Amino acid sequence: MYGWTGRCLRVNLTKNDFQLEEISQELMNKFLGGRGLGVKILYDEIDPTVDPLSPDNKLIFVSGPLVGTGAVTGASCNVITKSALSGTIACAKLRGHFGAELKYSGLDMIIVEGKAEFPVILSIMDDKIVIKPGLEYWGRTTSETENMFKSSLSDSWAARDTYLLSIGPAGEKLVPLANIMNDGFLSVGGAGIGAVMGSKNLKAIAVKGNHSVTIADGNRFVQVVTTLINKLNTAPLISQSVSSWGSAFLVGLCNQKGILPFKNFQSSSFDKSKHIGTEALSSAFSLRSRGCFACPIACIKKTDVNNSLFKGKGMAPTYMAIGALGLNCGITDLTNTGIANMICGEMGLDPVAAGGTIATAMELEEKGLLTKDSLKLDLRFGNGEDLIQALTLMATKKGYAKRIGQGAKALAEEYGHPELFMGVKSIPLVPFDPRSLQGMGLHFVTSNYGPHHLYAYTFFDEVLNIHEQLDPWTTEGKPEFVKRVQDITAVMDSLGLCNWPLMGLKFNNLVPMINSCLGTSYKAEDLFRVGERIWNLERLFNLRAGFGRKDDILPERFINEPIEDGPAKGQTSRADEMLNDYYNIRGWDEEGRPGSKFLKTLELESRDGKNKD
Amino acid sequence: MARIKIDHTKCTGCRLCEIACSLNHVGGVANPRRARIRVFREGSICFPTIAGPFVDAACTSKNDLIIGDQTYNMCLICRASCPEKPFFIEAETGFPLKCDFCGIPPSPSCVRWCNSGALELIED
Ligand code: SF4
Ligand code: SF4
Ligand code: SF4
Repeated sequence: MYGWTGRCLRVNLTKNDFQLEEISQELMNKFLGGRGLGVKILYDEIDPTVDPLSPDNKLIFVSGPLVGTGAVTGASCNVITKSALSGTIACAKLRGHFGAELKYSGLDMIIVEGKAEFPVILSIMDDKIVIKPGLEYWGRTTSETENMFKSSLSDSWAARDTYLLSIGPAGEKLVPLANIMNDGFLSVGGAGIGAVMGSKNLKAIAVKGNHSVTIADGNRFVQVVTTLINKLNTAPLISQSVSSWGSAFLVGLCNQKGILPFKNFQSSSFDKSKHIGTEALSSAFSLRSRGCFACPIACIKKTDVNNSLFKGKGMAPTYMAIGALGLNCGITDLTNTGIANMICGEMGLDPVAAGGTIATAMELEEKGLLTKDSLKLDLRFGNGEDLIQALTLMATKKGYAKRIGQGAKALAEEYGHPELFMGVKSIPLVPFDPRSLQGMGLHFVTSNYGPHHLYAYTFFDEVLNIHEQLDPWTTEGKPEFVKRVQDITAVMDSLGLCNWPLMGLKFNNLVPMINSCLGTSYKAEDLFRVGERIWNLERLFNLRAGFGRKDDILPERFINEPIEDGPAKGQTSRADEMLNDYYNIRGWDEEGRPGSKFLKTLELESRDGKNKD
Repeated sequence: MARIKIDHTKCTGCRLCEIACSLNHVGGVANPRRARIRVFREGSICFPTIAGPFVDAACTSKNDLIIGDQTYNMCLICRASCPEKPFFIEAETGFPLKCDFCGIPPSPSCVRWCNSGALELIED
């Protein structure tokens, strides 16, 4: 077995027990690993209607086969579970070095079941697997947890090779907006997962190992990777933008195109973009680049130690943070956004979900639907201090902030204005306005994981025109396009690759790397087929959990209120018009259900008899 | 003489150098513990360090390494493998590892895969 280690650790926290299992080659071939494998296990092993916070839910950490091999950007570890925020399937992507270290521990996957009696830490250090009592870690922030664990090791050099993922106070308190932190980076797409980890009383997982990952054709692999590194290095968008500013380079661009939302998506143009552009960013944070394992792009920006305010702590805000915690809450001061982002990291809150929730609360307050008394908090658009205070209280469930912590949808409903929730399937939208980005809008409604661009990077072509010149406002050809990008992303995630290299490379460029590493002879189309299989399995999970066409809709604002001003003035989302076409292209019926005949062509079976053709 | 210059301010901590070294010395095997270069992380700074000679006793006196207003452990950039710092020793064999300036000239393997400019081949 190349790339894969073929081994899985199954931990049952209720029984305080674990066992090692083999993963069959057949499963690997069919689902690749990473996200695909995790989805398959979750689909087979849990009842999709289960309460996400009950011991019956499972939490799966799974690295892809290319992780740890040196394949460019082969770093990603996926976390799969049933989300505590939406009730759909959830998949977070862990960045940094945890995924690779998991492979060096001789494991592809950890399956966590049950619930520990008291807080524990799972420690997998040089083949010694221990479920350690973790009471003294409970209540600690994520960086405190990491430091405490590392200083508890007798050998300080071993501590340097140890990688840790943990939840913060938000996850412990079962706040459904909680996320997971590893290596000082918040996972992306992790809203609702931190709470699941908290419900299992699992505070952290530490890994360190010295197993090797083997590669089928070492010589060819080294050649191919060398070429790809050089290609990425000369791709203008990567070397000039992504490597310098991280995703924050998109801020100015999206603002110019009327995509960047302001004040809970009430408008999509912001005239003082100088305040939030890349220059402002580097002067506020003095950026320092950090890369995930084996990544030549290094899009992650830390603050520099010489920065007087942040002193090297925390991440500089990304596009997501600037959009969701900043502008969408009306906050244009990057320092405040940076502090808010850091609090999210320390407390283990998801910036997009938490930002979206606060933006909703702010709109409720702006419209006079929320009195100061009802939440005992000031939440005014544009007020950074309000934001910072709310985040801390939310994470610790202190006072009335408990109610905001339930998420934007619950809050909007509680105050009788569900239309002010800007999200899909209970998950707030990432800061891309679906009115001025039609493909993204269609992806938002159809995504198995809620409205997150992470599962289909349509803006590569709709905004940046990298592979194709697509008009962001047209709906023509978008259903095919969205399906294609969704499937490709499923493949990338399952292999354990980051998606950013596709800003400088074509998917085809990666195929020789995949094959020389795994000893396979895939063609790009074969892999897309696997992507399609994974997407359909995720859909089946959600259908069985009770989701369907009725949930594939955007908030009314995007359909009925045209963008008022700015470059995309007059646009509305036409995602609903494209939905039938999309279902059709996917091979689904008008309710968005794959039929059993179609599933057979994908070598899938639905587990109940409901999905007739 | 050709040498590898290390600029820790540019290092992103991606560890492609470690894997390049491992793959180049043990065919088809990716394992940072078999690399003759390791990237040590301390706070937000990464120090790439290339394996030098093996010594069987630790230093008796050490200097402090001061960068900005922070003080670091000198061992972080020391190239030796010693009883104080159990790196650059092959786990299975206990064999000490030392950089042999490998790869296809002109660039050593680690330099070739380092995209940030932290590792650079210089002549002096
Ligand atoms: S591009 Fe960014 S997120 Fe992707 S692997 Fe590199 S550093 Fe990580
Ligand atoms: S020159 Fe070769 S042997 Fe030396 S550290 Fe670099 S890759 Fe390893
Ligand atoms: S390859 Fe270069 S940037 Fe990456 S860890 Fe090694 S020295 Fe640092």
